[in-house]
Parts: sequence; structure tokens; C-alpha cells
Amino acid sequence: MKWLDALIQGVLLGGMYAQYALGMALMFGVMRIVNIAHGDLVVLLALIGITLSVAVGLGPLPLVLVLVPLAALIGWGLQKFVLNKVVGADSLPSLIATFGLSIALQNLMLEIWSADTRSMSGGGIEAASVNVGGIYIGLLPVLILIAATLLTGGLDLTMRRTRFGRALRAAAADTEAAAMTGVNPRVVYAYATAIAVGILGLSGVFFALRATVSPADGPAQLIYAFEAVIIGGMGSIWGGFVGSMVLGIAQAIGFRIDPGFGTLAGHLVFLTVLATRPQGLMSKG
Amino acid sequence: MTPTPHLLATRSLSARYGDFQALFSVDFRIAAGEVVALIGANGAGKSTFLRALMGLLPVGRDMVLFEDQPVGGNPPHHMVQLGVAMVPEGRRLFAGMSVEDNLKVAIDHARKTGDKTWTLERIYRLFPILQEKRNAQVEKLSGGQQQMVAIGRALLAQPRLLLCDEISLGLAPKVIREIYEVLPEIARTGTSIVLVEQDVMLAQRASNRLYCMLEGHITLESTSSEVTRADIAQAYFGAGHEVA
Ligand SMILES: Nc1ncnc2c1ncn2[C@@H]1O[C@H](COP(=O)(O)OP(=O)(O)OP(=O)(O)O)[C@@H](O)[C@H]1O
Ligand SMILES: [Mg+2]
Repeated sequence: MKWLDALIQGVLLGGMYAQYALGMALMFGVMRIVNIAHGDLVVLLALIGITLSVAVGLGPLPLVLVLVPLAALIGWGLQKFVLNKVVGADSLPSLIATFGLSIALQNLMLEIWSADTRSMSGGGIEAASVNVGGIYIGLLPVLILIAATLLTGGLDLTMRRTRFGRALRAAAADTEAAAMTGVNPRVVYAYATAIAVGILGLSGVFFALRATVSPADGPAQLIYAFEAVIIGGMGSIWGGFVGSMVLGIAQAIGFRIDPGFGTLAGHLVFLTVLATRPQGLMSKG
Repeated sequence: MTPTPHLLATRSLSARYGDFQALFSVDFRIAAGEVVALIGANGAGKSTFLRALMGLLPVGRDMVLFEDQPVGGNPPHHMVQLGVAMVPEGRRLFAGMSVEDNLKVAIDHARKTGDKTWTLERIYRLFPILQEKRNAQVEKLSGGQQQMVAIGRALLAQPRLLLCDEISLGLAPKVIREIYEVLPEIARTGTSIVLVEQDVMLAQRASNRLYCMLEGHITLESTSSEVTRADIAQAYFGAGHEVA
């Protein structure tokens, strides 16, 4: 029972990581950009959400409807005005740019929101849970997992079936060849980042409902998404999802063994995969 | 205004890779429906020239004229909209994608003005094997089949000018014949073709006019049927080279 419970909690935890991993996998897969500011963007959106919920009294659902377009716009602008200038065969310039952005965002958030931790009241759903045969399953984590699954499936379908998805895959496979086939890679990139960051609009609300948020929390969010993407296989849409599940389960089981061992267990799985299958579990290579 | 005789022309086109100048004052022209061959030894600058036309290399605005309009340095997706498409050296297909998805990328982003001369069905009629393999990933195809995808992809952009970079390279003679047999059909639709080719005989036979390039300079320009082997040998290897 204890282990089944750990498994279920791990999968639910993985749902949260999967939302972060999805955008990272997309940006890496298409542009070879490792977005160091990914976690800080979640925190930024969560803090904007908390402020809006306090100031205007918006509930979680209206907040999502406001934050997702805002996040997509931020992503689009970030790509168009910053990352398109540094994207290329060499991923170091974009790494440095997003690293700088991460630090700038943290300072900006500290300036606006101070170092206090905040959280959002969701009118009860954050604490609601159901008892399934003696195992308590939180409603919010289930919602998060469902959202992550739908988003991953939706993005995967978009990549495989739509005009935009084909352009994305073409630009990822060979940017120059895509350009000579009529694709404007910079426009495609801007939409890709809009999607990657847009997802964080939803994640930001979930994050604020689920935990307390403070401006310095970004890197901790980033590291799990990053590990999930590596475990699953860089650039594979479902890879990030699978990696998130593996990471979540490893952490939950580690936590049952010893509360101090939870995060470490996740890191150990990550290192093991990196050492034995550096291309990731889901990668064909 | 009288209609322009040239679809595309270059005026003193120069291009460089950093400090290295790869093209020197290239003057080139091609009329609508014309097939023009560009020959030259390895490293002569043929691919560089095509890349410059496609907008893949920075060049001066006035160095490339499309229907007398300066278009040098336009990004490639603009050139596609004008009607330029390329079958690049080494094919450069979208790995990990199916044959049909490779072709669909071109359909999705094809030139918007003018007739849709080329359809997926027509490409499949031209190269029936591609229909059979349409769901296969392109890297699973043979070299010749991949070349057919590359040609199909370029045609589906609905080009008025098709740039072909060594489409016979590494292919069996039978496959080369198959591929070269479709060139007249392409030219019949009114599409002009620039044919970069290592095989001089093949280039000469398939073209109306011919240019030879040597170390970034045009060393010969002639009607293909009139040029002699001696002319070509001298333009190809440079003056003073002993012709065997
Ligand atoms: N990316 C590059 N950077 C620097 N120099 C280059 C680059 N690409 C080509 N060159 C140089 O430019 C010159 C022309 O090269 P180009 O590829 O245009 O020749 P080519 O005529 O197409 O040769 P081939 O028949 O071998 O394909 C060569 O000297 C080559 O070394
Ligand atoms: Mg070449």
C-alpha cells in the first residue's frame, strides 16, 4: 500500500514537471535553445496570477484565461526580440542570453514582489481530495496531470498533423532547407516559444494553487523540468512527459524511504540515465 | 515598358565567406523557360552562386535582379514567394519526416501568386516510386529516391526558376537518366532551370546555354550546342592547361 501510494503520488508529481518539461522539450527540439529562464517565467506568471487574484478577485479559471495569452505574448516577444538574435548552430549564445534573462527576471520580481512567499486561494480545490481505497488523491494534482497529458497529446498531434507542426519539424531538421522551402524560421520560432511559455500561464496558476511562491523559486522549478527532459530524451515531446513521470516516481519513492532522500533519488535517476543512456529513454538514437 | 527578356540576371555579383572571396563579379542571365547549365571544377563557386541567388548568402541588393527588380539579399522565403526554388547540394531533406510531409512543407509555403502548376498527384505521376513510399521516413529511401523528393519539394513551391545543384551526384546511370528525363517536362511548364552539374556532357546535352566557372569567375558563356570541347576544357581548367 505504501508503495502503491508512492507510485500514485509520483505520477501526480510528474504531471507538474511534465508541464514545464513540455515547453523545454519544444524549445530545445526545435531551436536547440536551453531556456534557463523557464522556471523564472513560471514564477513570474504565478506571481502575476496571485496579484491579479488578490487585486481583481479573479478565480483560477478566469486567471488561466488571462495568463495563458499573456504568457504566449511574453514568449513570442522574448523570441522575436531577444532569442531570434542569438539562435543558431551554436547553442552557447542562447544559453548565455537565457541565463542573463533568468537573473534579470529574478531581480525584477524581487523588486516588485519582495522576497515574501505568497500563494493563491482556489476556493477549496487546492485542498480537496478523494479517498480511493485508503489512498488520498488530491484533486488539484489530478487536474494538473490531466492538463499535462492533454497538452502533451495536443502538442504531439499539432507537430504531426498541422501545417505549423510540419514547419516546426522542418525547421528543426534543417533550418536552411526549411527556409529555401519557403518557411520563415524566425516566425516559426516565435510561435514555438509562444506555445512553450504560453503553457506556463497554466502552470503558473497551478503552481500558485499548489505551493507558496517567491521570486527565487525559479531555478528549483527549472532543474526538475531539465532533468525530466534529459531522462526522456531531449527534443522528444512524449520524452519529456515520460521523463517527468520517472522523475516524479523516483522522488516519491525516495521520499518514502527517507524524507530527506526524495529529491536526491530523483537526481540519482537523472545521473544514472545520463551515464547509461545519455540520449534519453524515448530517443531512438 | 517592353517585357523583360530575362527572368533573372546578376550584375557583378560578388560573395564572400568571411575574408575569403568566393565569387568575383559574376554576370549571369536566364530567360523564362530556358535551361542554363553552370559547370566548373570542385570549389569553383557553383553552389555559392546558387546559394547567393536563393538568399542564403549576404549579397548587395542590386547584384541580383528578378524581372529587373533588385532582390539581392532577400531572405530565402521571400525568394520562394517571387518564384525561386532550389534542389540543394546534398538534397537536404527533412530527416525524421515522411516523404509526404517533406513535400507538404513545400505545398504549405508555396508561391501564392500564379497557377498551381504542380500538385502532389503530379509529382507522384512524375516519380511513381514516391507515392509508394509516401509514408516512409526520407532517410530510409535510396539516394535516387531522395533526390526525387528533393526535386518534388522544390517543384511544389511552384517555381518560375528552379536551381538544381548536382542532382546526378552519386546516382546510378539509370536513375540519372530517369531524373534528367523530367527536366524537359519542367521546362515545358515555363519554368527556367539553372543546372549545376559535374558531368559536362550531361550538362551540355540538357541545356540551352552554358556558363563555366573557375575560381569564382565566369570563364565561358555560350550556346550549349555550339561550344567545343576545347573551349570547355580551357574554361574549366584555366588558360595554359594542357588539354589531353
Ligand atoms: N561555408 C563556407 N565557408 C568558407 N568557405 C566556403 C564555404 N563554402 C564554400 N566555401 C569555399 O568557397 C569556394 C566555392 O565553394 P562552392 O561550394 O561554391 O564550390 P562548388 O563549385 O559548388 O564545388 P563542388 O563542385 O565541389 O560542389 C570553395 O573554395 C570553398 O572552399
Ligand atoms: Mg557545389
